[in-house]
Amino acid sequence: MTDDRPPIGRSWSTLYIAVLVNLAVLIIIFYAFTRYFR
Amino acid sequence: MSRLDWLVLGATLGFIVAYGLWKGRRQRNLDSYILADRKLQWPTIALSIMATQASAITFLSTPGQAFADGMRFVQFYLGLPVAMVLLSMFAVPIFHRLKVYTAYEFLETRFDVKTRTLTAVLFLIQRGLSTGLTIYAPALIVSVLLGWNLYVTNLIIGTLVIIYTATGGTKAVSWTHVQQMLIILGGMATALIIAIRSIPGDISFFEAVRVAGRMGRLNAIDFSFDLTTNYTFWSGMVGGLMVALSYFGCDQSQVQRYLTGETPAESRLGLLFNGLVKVPMQFFILFVGAMVFVFYQFVAPPLFFNTAERAKIGVSRFAADYAELEDAHRANFVQKRQHVRELVTAMRADDAPGAAAAQAKVRAIQTRDAATRKAAIDLIKRNDATADVSDTNYIFLSFVLRFLPIGVVGLVMAAIFCASMSSTAAGLNALSSTSVVDIYKRLINPNATETDYVRMSKWLTVFWGGFAIAFAMYATRLGSLIEAVNKLGSYFYGTILAIFILAFFTKTVGGTATCLGAVVGEATVLYFSFFTKLAWLWWNVIGCVVGIIAALLIERLLPDREPDEVAEAA
Repeated sequence: MTDDRPPIGRSWSTLYIAVLVNLAVLIIIFYAFTRYFR
Repeated sequence: MSRLDWLVLGATLGFIVAYGLWKGRRQRNLDSYILADRKLQWPTIALSIMATQASAITFLSTPGQAFADGMRFVQFYLGLPVAMVLLSMFAVPIFHRLKVYTAYEFLETRFDVKTRTLTAVLFLIQRGLSTGLTIYAPALIVSVLLGWNLYVTNLIIGTLVIIYTATGGTKAVSWTHVQQMLIILGGMATALIIAIRSIPGDISFFEAVRVAGRMGRLNAIDFSFDLTTNYTFWSGMVGGLMVALSYFGCDQSQVQRYLTGETPAESRLGLLFNGLVKVPMQFFILFVGAMVFVFYQFVAPPLFFNTAERAKIGVSRFAADYAELEDAHRANFVQKRQHVRELVTAMRADDAPGAAAAQAKVRAIQTRDAATRKAAIDLIKRNDATADVSDTNYIFLSFVLRFLPIGVVGLVMAAIFCASMSSTAAGLNALSSTSVVDIYKRLINPNATETDYVRMSKWLTVFWGGFAIAFAMYATRLGSLIEAVNKLGSYFYGTILAIFILAFFTKTVGGTATCLGAVVGEATVLYFSFFTKLAWLWWNVIGCVVGIIAALLIERLLPDREPDEVAEAA
C-alpha cells in the first residue's frame, strides 16, 4: 500500500522515534533548566 | 484600548468570519459539511489540531499559572507526544479504513449501538460544557475591559462563531484554524518580546531568568512522586498520556480534524507534528508568565488583579481594611524589590552566600505577602460570598492592558479572540456532527436525504452554540479556567478511553460488559473526585483502568455469547 510510506522521512517508525526522542530531549533540557535556575 | 487597537481587533475578527463564510460556501452533503470532502493536507490538519486545543483559556490562564505557581504546568503535556505516536499507529488506520464520520461510529462496528450511543452522549455532555467555557474566557476579557455586561458579551462572541461554523461546517472551521493559529503564534511571540523588554534596562535577560528561577517560577520538571500534587513528571507522563489519548483519540472535536485527511498519511503527519511542537509551545507560553512575574518584581503589582472585585470592595464597609492590606502589600513590594536587586548584584559578583541570603529574604517576604493576599481574599469573600476570588486569569490580561503599546494590545486581543473562536468552532462542529451522525441519523431519522442531514447539522450547530452560551453564563465561579476545562474533561476522559481501548485491543469483550464497565469506571472517578484529595490528572488513569478491569470481569460473569456473535465483534 503506497500509503505506508510517509510523505517525509524514511519510514513511519523513523518518524515515531523522532517524536519520542524529541520528547526525551525536551525533558532533559527542562530538567537541566529547572536545576540550573533554581 | 485605543482606536488603533479596536481597528486591529475588529479587522481581524471581521476577516476570520468573512474568510470562514467564503471557504465554507456550497455544502451539499455530509462528506463535505462534516469532513471537508476528506481532501485536507497535513499542514492544514496540524494547524487545525493545534488551534482546536489552543483556546483563549490557554492564552489567558497559562501565563497566570506560571506567575502564581511556576512552570510546573508544562508537565501536564508530557504524555501528549506519546499519545500522538500511539494514535498514529493504531487509531488513524482504523478510522480511515472504516471511513467513519465520528469516532463513536466505530464503536458500533466493534460493539453495538448502545455502546456507541452511551459514548456519544458522554461526549456531548462533556464537550457541550467545555465549549461554554471557551466562549466565557474572552467574554470575561471584554467585560472587564469595557465594563460590558458579561452575559451580553457571551452572547455576542458566541453568535460570531455560530455564524461561520453553522454556515460553512468543517471546511470553514479547518481553514479559519490556519489563519487563527498564525495570528495566535504572532500574538504570543510579540507578548513575550515585550514582556522581556519591559523589565528594567539594567537587568539583562539572563539575570531576569535567574531571578525567576531563584523565586521558584522555573520549576518545569518535578520528579517527586506525590499523588496529591497536580503537576509532576509522573502525573504528566501517565495521567497526561491518558488525557491526550482520550482527547485526541476519542473526542470528536479532535478526531474530526484528522478525519479530514486525504489519506491516513496526511492524518498521521498532522498528529505527529503536534507531538513535536506542542510541549515547546506550552513551555513558551508559561515562560511569558514567568517573565511577567519578573517584571512585577520591579513594578508594583496590584494586591488583587480582578478589577471588578477590587472596585466592589473599595466601596464596601471593608474598604478601610482593604486599604490597610494594600499598604502592607506596597511595603512588602518595596522591601522585596530591594532584596531582588541585592540578589541580582550578588549573582553578578558570583557571591553565592550573598545570593543565598538575598534569596532567603525575598522568599520570606513572598511568604508574608502571600498571607497579606490571603487576608485580602478573605475580606473580599466576607464582603460578597459569591465573589470570584481566583484572579489567575486576570494577571496576563492586566499586564497586556496596562503595559503593552498601542496597536500591540489590539494584536494580542485579536490573538486571544482567535484562540477562543478556533476551539469554540471545533467544539460546535463536533457537537453538531455527533448529534446528527450518532443520534439523529442512526436512531431517529435514518432515511432522510443528504440535504436534510446538512440542514439538520446547521440547526444543531446553532442549538449547541446556544447551549454553550447558556453554560458560559454560569462559568464565573469555576476558578482557574485552564484547570476547570481539564478537570471537567477528566471526569469523563478515562471512562471514554477505556471503551476505546477495549474496542481496539480486545476481541472477546462485548458491548454489554463494556457499557457496564464504563458505568463502574465513571462511578469510581466520581467517588475519588468528591471524597479524596487525589490530584485530578489521576482521575483519568482511574477511570480508564477501572473501566477496563470491570469490563473484563463482567464479561466473564455474563452468560456466554453465541460463537457467531463473538466472531462478529472481533
